[in-house]
This record gives sequence, structure tokens and C-alpha cells, in this order.
Amino acid sequence: MRSELTELNQASTTRTLKLARRQSEPAFPNKGKIRNRIYWLQMSPALIILLLMTIAPAIFLISKSLTNDSLLNSTSNFVGLQNYQAILTDASLLHSARVTAAFVALVVLIEMVAGLFFAQFLYKKTRANSVAGALLIIPFAVAPAVSAMVFRELLNPNYGWVNYFMGLLGLPDQIDWLGNSFTAWVALVGLDVWQWTPFVALILIAGMSALPAEPLEAASVDGANAWQIFRHISFRLLAPFIGIALVLRTIQAFKTFDSFLILTGGGPGDSTSPMNLEIYRVALQSFRVGYASSMAIILLIAISILTPLLLKILSRATQNEEV
Amino acid sequence: MIQIKKEGNGLVSKLRLSVIAVLAIGLVAGVTPSNAAQKAPKQIRILYATAEANSAAVQAALPSFKTKTGVQLVMDTMPYGALQTKVFAEFAAKSSYYDVVIVDTPWSPALAQNLEPLSGYMTNASLNNLVPLNSADFIPKVFYDTAVYNVKKPSLHYPKPTATVDAAAIKKAGFDVYGLPVQANALALAYRKDLFEDPAQKAAFKKEAGRALTVPKTLDEFAEVAEFFTQPDKKLYGTTLMAGTGDWSTDDFKTLLAAYGGDGYMVGNNQELNFNSAAGVRALTYYRNLIKSGFTPPGTTSASWDEVATMFNSGLTAMTMNYHDLKLDASIAGGVIGYAKVPSANSEGPHFGTWMLSVNKYSKNKEWGYRAAQWLTSAAQSTAMLSKGIHPARNSVYASAEKLPDANLAAYYKTLKQALAVGAGRPRLTNYGEVNAVIFTMVNNVATGKLEPKPALAAAAVEVEKLLVSAGYTVPK
Repeated sequence: MRSELTELNQASTTRTLKLARRQSEPAFPNKGKIRNRIYWLQMSPALIILLLMTIAPAIFLISKSLTNDSLLNSTSNFVGLQNYQAILTDASLLHSARVTAAFVALVVLIEMVAGLFFAQFLYKKTRANSVAGALLIIPFAVAPAVSAMVFRELLNPNYGWVNYFMGLLGLPDQIDWLGNSFTAWVALVGLDVWQWTPFVALILIAGMSALPAEPLEAASVDGANAWQIFRHISFRLLAPFIGIALVLRTIQAFKTFDSFLILTGGGPGDSTSPMNLEIYRVALQSFRVGYASSMAIILLIAISILTPLLLKILSRATQNEEV
Repeated sequence: MIQIKKEGNGLVSKLRLSVIAVLAIGLVAGVTPSNAAQKAPKQIRILYATAEANSAAVQAALPSFKTKTGVQLVMDTMPYGALQTKVFAEFAAKSSYYDVVIVDTPWSPALAQNLEPLSGYMTNASLNNLVPLNSADFIPKVFYDTAVYNVKKPSLHYPKPTATVDAAAIKKAGFDVYGLPVQANALALAYRKDLFEDPAQKAAFKKEAGRALTVPKTLDEFAEVAEFFTQPDKKLYGTTLMAGTGDWSTDDFKTLLAAYGGDGYMVGNNQELNFNSAAGVRALTYYRNLIKSGFTPPGTTSASWDEVATMFNSGLTAMTMNYHDLKLDASIAGGVIGYAKVPSANSEGPHFGTWMLSVNKYSKNKEWGYRAAQWLTSAAQSTAMLSKGIHPARNSVYASAEKLPDANLAAYYKTLKQALAVGAGRPRLTNYGEVNAVIFTMVNNVATGKLEPKPALAAAAVEVEKLLVSAGYTVPK
């Protein structure tokens, strides 16, 4: 009986997906191609400027990374890949790279799951959800430096609200949040999740609001339950939105700097010291431009490799859902 | 023909003489500031630190310069991080926009070649006619540590750091003056005077320690008093320490290093890694033990100078060490603060970090820039800034400071002067920021108990050596 029901559900889902795909297909393919060309033509001036603004600095950065350039030193020598070799054999920088990777993986995963969770409840157009949507903007509208300072005060072991309320609840109230590696990580991840989950949620709310109602209704009529509808239909149709949120958050998480600098300063020890903090010290405290450029290029390469990889994984995951 | 030739030779000789004379005048004019007064500009632009060097006090003094000279002083201020980037960017671009720039000591080794050497200005009477320079009035240690560099080898400190300041003698020794000290910060001990003078506390301490309760002068006494006052059930701890990851914990460490007889500069003139020493081990062990014993409040291993000020001001600790005067919260009835020099072991060298006003080498108004810096750092102006809490670098100003009606501030100034006279600054390294990061990470690792002092110091020495070599230094083995 259960297997029959499963088959029925799968057949229903397949029909529903085909219906959704058919709805999104253009009626006249040639007309679409011409329209596409016109779009490209219209976009080209902006695109050229954008390329000049992004590619040119990247080329400049690469050229600097091959020198021992220092901001106030007039002599700049070509050193080839010496900077890269030094970075890739420096234990403390490799540690920073691990810290960065761990942070990005943790916060992006938590924010994607939490964002999707909130979006499920908030996408329906009700008055309460409109208020909630407006409130969601607040955390990421606050400057990261300001939120880090506020968090530092909240987590103060002597006067902070966090320990105070934990004490009221009968929980340990003497936690030195930023003096212990584990709790410092909890604080950093907590701050990032607080600040950026609403961003993910808003993207996904927009996505869910744009989903065609028919496939969902059809699945419901065919007897699919809420989880099945979400897993086999909503999630798949949401994939482009999830992809956008995933890519944006991954890039943003790689660039996180203020919260590390202000909340933990990389401590305790160097347990929360990411690449960005190291780049800041080399570039903006010692002004060793060549070396700092090499560090930035390595980070850029990591992001450039990771972003399409994530999209590919997501695409494969959603394709696998198709029966 | 011969006559003509002779006339021609005479003309050539005259021309040669004229050219030599013009070149000589040009050379002299290029090396030293001209005696002829430079035309007064409409304004002199100053780049200054917002909080770290008391911009409010200096801002209040700006109008007096216009009243005296007709030249307006326009001051832009920035917070520390942005200021450092701005200063370096201005000099990298050889910008003449700012005539006078504030410089923090860690930046000076890299910046010195972009700052105007001032010994010629200091000895030129016509440039010091607004107010007497009186260079001998500067606290020698502060002046030499802050402003005197050998630009060919900026890692060198002036060999006679306690000699009376004399621009000619500095020049003769192969150094020059690259600014005038404007704000002199030094680590000082602050304590709850009301608690130390409380008869009940005195009796209890006498019973416990077998001696009178006094303000600690030695590190052993400091630990003993800190232990005595530590009563977590009453929300009271002995002392604060700034053991968080940041410049502050390096400064705590180097103060203790000097107190145990080590080199308070940590890295020598020739890049000797002096912090990795027996004194370094003792300093770190003492530091770690104070925290481990619970004589410091929770949060010590993530505290900076801001947090420890809050801890002390709110009555959480009986003692603290910081770089400015403190004010107890109004809720602490009868609370009074006393100040003293930081306790020592067999030597002393509280950390000091001073700021100077330097003239931009690329400025078009260098003479007036010097006049402005000289005016703002003069004894008269520094005295006027006292009520706003400036930390002067002149002996005569401290004489006035101790007579201030604000007893707390007067007491602080008395101690600050003593601390400045014996303080130790930073090593002169172009990549001090990176070296500092290695050291404060090491100090924090010891403070949290993650590493033991001796191996931590050895590992930090390896890291620092790598950084120094990468910055072009040769580290002696």
C-alpha cells in the first residue's frame, strides 16, 4: 500500500515538474534568441565598464603580487612566485586559511538552513509576515563593525546581558566568551548567523513568493504531504534562488573582517585569525603591498574555484531530485 | 686678440663665480630653512588622531594660533586604523595636502624619510619667535624615543636617551629631529585609595600578610595585594590585566620584561631578539600566574585598555594599570583613586607610546608647518591643554599640572611624569605591526594557559626572526 502511494506521489511529482517546465518554456524560440542579442547589446556599455572596473584591478593586483613592493619604498623588484611560495609554506598563514574555510563552511551552512526554515513560514502574504519582513532587514542593515561592538558588550563576562540572562535561567553565568577558543567561535558564528540569516531568508522569501501555485496545488491534490511538496517541488524550483543566496553568502563570508577584528582580534591566541586579518596586518599595518597582494590573490582564487563548484553541486543535487 | 681673450677669460671667471654663488645659495637654502620668512599661507592643514592623542585638547588651542599669526590651523581627525592608512597613503603619494601630520612611534621607522628634519628649524631663531622653543624643557626619554632618528638606519635609538635635548648635539651625533612630541602616554598604576586607607582593610591585611597595607612598589607586593583584595563573592578582584589579543598585551609583557631586568624594547637596535630571555620567561610566568590564580576578573584574557578601564571604574578591581587617568562611577560611594608608578622587580621600564607632530617633507608650507607644530607643543599651549587631559612631554608643564584644582588629574600627572622619565618605547622596526601580532598572540596563548612561557617565547622568536628577515633585516644568531 505504502509503495503504491510512493509511486503515485512520484508520478504526480513528475507530471507537476513537467507542467512547471512547460510553463517556463518560450513559445517562439527564435524570437527569444533575437531578444537575447538585443539584451546583450543593451548591456554591453555597462558590461565593458564593469569589466574595466573589475578585470583591470585584478591584473594590477596580480602584477603587484609578483613584486616585493612596499608602500613607502620606492624600489620595487620582481620576485616571481617567491611571495606565493612563502605564503604556502608559512604555517601561521595556512592556519589562517583553515580558520577562514571553517568559518565560511559553518556560517553558510547554518544560514542557508535557517534562512530556508524562516522563508517557509514568512513567504505567505499576511500582515504579520509583512512586519516580519521589514524587521528582517534590520540585522544586515547594521554596519558589521557596529554589530561586532554591540556583541562584544553583550558578551562581556562581567556586565554583559548574555551571561546575566543565562544566570536567570540557571545556566552557567561566568563564561568568558571571548577568552576561550570554542566560545569565541560560538560568538563569531552567532554574530554572523544573526546578521546574515535574514538576508538569505529574504532572497528565499522572494523566490517562494514567485513559485507557480499550480504545481504545488497539483501535488497536494495528488496526495503529496508538505515535506514531499517541499523536497520534490519547492526546493527544486527554488534552486536558482538558493544558488544566488549561496554564492552571495559564500563570497561575503570569505570577506568577513570587521567582526574578527573587533570581536576577537583573532584570539584567543590565533584561534580565530582568518586570512583577511593577516592581509590587513601585512597590507595596512606594515604596508608590504607585494606580499599582501599575493595573499589576496590566493583568497580570490579560492573564492573563484569554490563559487562555480557550489553552483554545480547545487545543480546536481536538484537534478537528482528529478525522477 | 690677446686683450680680447683676456676680457673673455674675465667674463668666464665672473660667470663661473656667479654660478658657484647661485649654486651655493641654492644648496644652503635647500638644506636648511631660509632666514627670510616664508610668506604666510592662509591656512595650515593638520592631520590628527581622534581619540588616542586627545584631539579635543589640541582643537581648543587652534584659534590662538590664528589670533597670534593670522594663519588658520585646520585639523582633520581620524580614528587610529584609518589614520595610519591615511598617513601612509599621503606620504606614498608624496601629497602636500597636509602640512603637519601626527605620527605614532610604531610608524616612524617606515615614515622617517618622508618627514622634514627639524634640527635646522629648531636652531633658527626666526622660526621660533612666536613662542620660545626651550627644547631643554622636553622630557629627554620621551623626546629621543619619539622624535629622534637616524634616517639612514632608522632602527637605531639615540645613544644618550637621558641627555638634555639639544638639536645641535643630536645633529652632530648623526641623528635628526623628525617631530615634536605632543602626547606622551605611559603605563601607570591606579588603585582604590579609599580601600587602601580603609581601617578595616588595613587591619585585615596586617593580619593576613604580617605587614602594613601599602601601595605595591614591587611585583611581589603587587601579587600579594591583588590576592588580598580578590573576593569574587563580593564582586571584587585584585587587579586588571590587558591580556587580550592586541597591542595592549604586548605592552603589558614588555613592561614586565623591563621590570625583571630585560630589554623593555624587546628587539634591540641590531634586531637582537631580546624578549626571548630569562627575564622574558619570568615576566610571562608572573603574568600567567596572576590570571591563573584568579586575581583578575573574568574576561581578562580578552581585555583591551577599554575593558580594563570599565572594570576598574565600575569598582570591579582594587587596582589597574592603564594609559590615562580614570574616573570611578558615581555609584561607588566614597571612591577615591590614587596613582603610582607600575611596580618593578629589579629594574623598571613601563611601556610608553608617544605621538609627535611632524612636518610633511612634501608640504609647500614647511616653515609655517613647523611654527604650528612648535606652537601647539609649546609649554604655554600644553599648559592650557592640561584641563582637557593632554599628556604633555615637557617638564615645566608637569609643574603646573600638579597644581590643578582637579585632585584626581593632578595626582595622575604627578605619576605620569615619573613614568615617562623611566619608560621604554617600542623597537624601531618597519614591520612592527606584524612583529607585534606575533608577540601579543604569544602573550595571550600563555595567559589562557594554552602554552608554557619558555616554549612560547622560543616559538615567537622563530616567527619574529622570519618576519624581520622578510622585511630585509639581518638577525644576529
